[in-house]
Amino acid sequence: MATVTTKSARPLKAGAHLQRKKRLFWPFAAPALALYLAFLVLPTIATVVLSFTSWAGAGDTPKPNGVTNYRQMVSSDSFQYAFGNTLIYVFLGGIGTFALAFLFTMVLRDMKGGKTVRAILFFPNIVAPVALGMFLGFVFKYQPGKQGLANYVMESLGADAAKFLAPSNVTGVVTASLIWASSGFYITILMAAVDRIPPYLYEDAELGGASPWQKFRNITLPMTWDVVGVAGVLWTINALKIFELVFVLAGPGTYAPPNQAWTLGIYVFDRTFGSNGTPDFGAACACAVAMIALVSVLVVLLRRLMRRDAIQF
Amino acid sequence: MSVTDVEAPARRAAKPVRKPPRKPRPAPGSKRFSPLRVLGSTIVWLFTAGNVLVLYWLLTASFKTPVEIFTKPFDLPYQWFKNGKPFRNFIYAWNNAGFGDAVLTTVVLVGLATVVTVAVSAPCAYALTRLGVRGAGPMTNVVAIGMGVPFQTVIIPLFVVLSKIHLDNEYGLFVLYVALSIPFTVFLMTGFFRSLPDELEEAAALDGASPMRTFFSVMLPLTRGGMITALTLNAIGLWNETLLAIVFLKDQAHFTLSRALFTFYGAASYQSEYGGLIAGVAIVVLPMLVLYLVLARRIITGLTLGAGK
Repeated sequence: MATVTTKSARPLKAGAHLQRKKRLFWPFAAPALALYLAFLVLPTIATVVLSFTSWAGAGDTPKPNGVTNYRQMVSSDSFQYAFGNTLIYVFLGGIGTFALAFLFTMVLRDMKGGKTVRAILFFPNIVAPVALGMFLGFVFKYQPGKQGLANYVMESLGADAAKFLAPSNVTGVVTASLIWASSGFYITILMAAVDRIPPYLYEDAELGGASPWQKFRNITLPMTWDVVGVAGVLWTINALKIFELVFVLAGPGTYAPPNQAWTLGIYVFDRTFGSNGTPDFGAACACAVAMIALVSVLVVLLRRLMRRDAIQF
Repeated sequence: MSVTDVEAPARRAAKPVRKPPRKPRPAPGSKRFSPLRVLGSTIVWLFTAGNVLVLYWLLTASFKTPVEIFTKPFDLPYQWFKNGKPFRNFIYAWNNAGFGDAVLTTVVLVGLATVVTVAVSAPCAYALTRLGVRGAGPMTNVVAIGMGVPFQTVIIPLFVVLSKIHLDNEYGLFVLYVALSIPFTVFLMTGFFRSLPDELEEAAALDGASPMRTFFSVMLPLTRGGMITALTLNAIGLWNETLLAIVFLKDQAHFTLSRALFTFYGAASYQSEYGGLIAGVAIVVLPMLVLYLVLARRIITGLTLGAGK
């Protein structure tokens, strides 16, 4: 009976109220949406339009030139290095980071002091990428007599010092650094999802004599699948725009590092605001469009790959 | 570390004190030697020790001479203390990189930008989740997509337009920081608003509160935790932001910290002024470390809500 009365009473009462509530929508949402439109949506459209023009930058007027920017960009060495490196960071870095994060979810769940460990592992994520790049520059410094931390340790163990930051090695070093610096973030997200899994599932598995791998494969992974998906999207977005870390780590200072170490972000920066060479805003816009295209393709692919019915618990 | 100390009482308060049932005894054979577990624990401990070592190295190196940094990386600082100038590196960085001005600029800029961002985003998130307007769901998705736009994509048109109207300075940067932080903040806050029960709003309405009042005196205070998380995460993000600061700040007197450090890097490594450089890194990193230690639990719950829902 009680449910019937509330059901019949609510539309009358809520109807007018709902109208008043809806009137709040635009005053509340408009400021944020306007800023979003003005500073993100419109500039993105402008970048796409400008990518089809020849434009040296401020003082020059953009002249339409079709797909010339794209054609020149794709055939240039610097873009090929930048594109290849970005893909390496997204894929190799992603595989490394997630493998590490998964390994940690297996171990950290029933480890003493797990919360402290998590907090310590998260620490590189609060450090400015510029500062992180400088720190890693110290770690991998190669200079006889003034060796960085990595070479100091290697030399004191009797090995030869290595030129970690030589152009041919720098991509590998950055990938490893990236995995180290970002794994804490993904461990934190995944562990929070793991904490929500009811413990009886694990206890049941333990009674059945399941190994850590079996528990991971049959409980942890399926139960955290949607969080893993979101984490994957976040990774793709963040790894694709990586800029400061590589710029400072691989570079000599305030101008761009050698071409072989470039990322797409460095390409855009170098063609516009970098202190090296003449600016070419048209080419930079084309590269920025390539970044957007790449992030869209990867995110859509990832979402399609990860699509699976969510498990309710 | 103190993170667990902060966490323990809060957890106890949140859950009623009840003894958990005894953990069932594992099946015979399941406690056998597992290579995966050994490998895992080893890596976890190596990793954790590595991070602690990094912090130790950073702290001690900021008090060392370059010779000590490179030849005795794991020792405690000695030379500057012996000379009676323990803070020499910090003083050098402060005076030669313009960190004094930069600290003021950064604190004001980041502080104002985070507060304004949350002030603009919270009502928007409320409107998108709880006003029952058709199309709010897709609109939320459109805003969330903004998180995936690399800054490099928008920076060129923004630079051209803002420099044309002479806003290529800290004022322009302030507006940019607010605008570019909106997608993430709105996304995070929608998670918090969605988690509130409908009954509260209905009760407020039945008591005769206007929708405006319901928002300001009932719903908004309930997302206080969410707002603190949003403030913290934005503060860390903007404090560390370098790309936009490099592009938009030309006047050294108004550099932000990370921008000043970036400029200092070239000069200091040219002069082999490594002690001062590491002190500079420490000046940028340590305030965020303190903020993180104080608010670690909030940051982690916030991330979970953002990513997990």
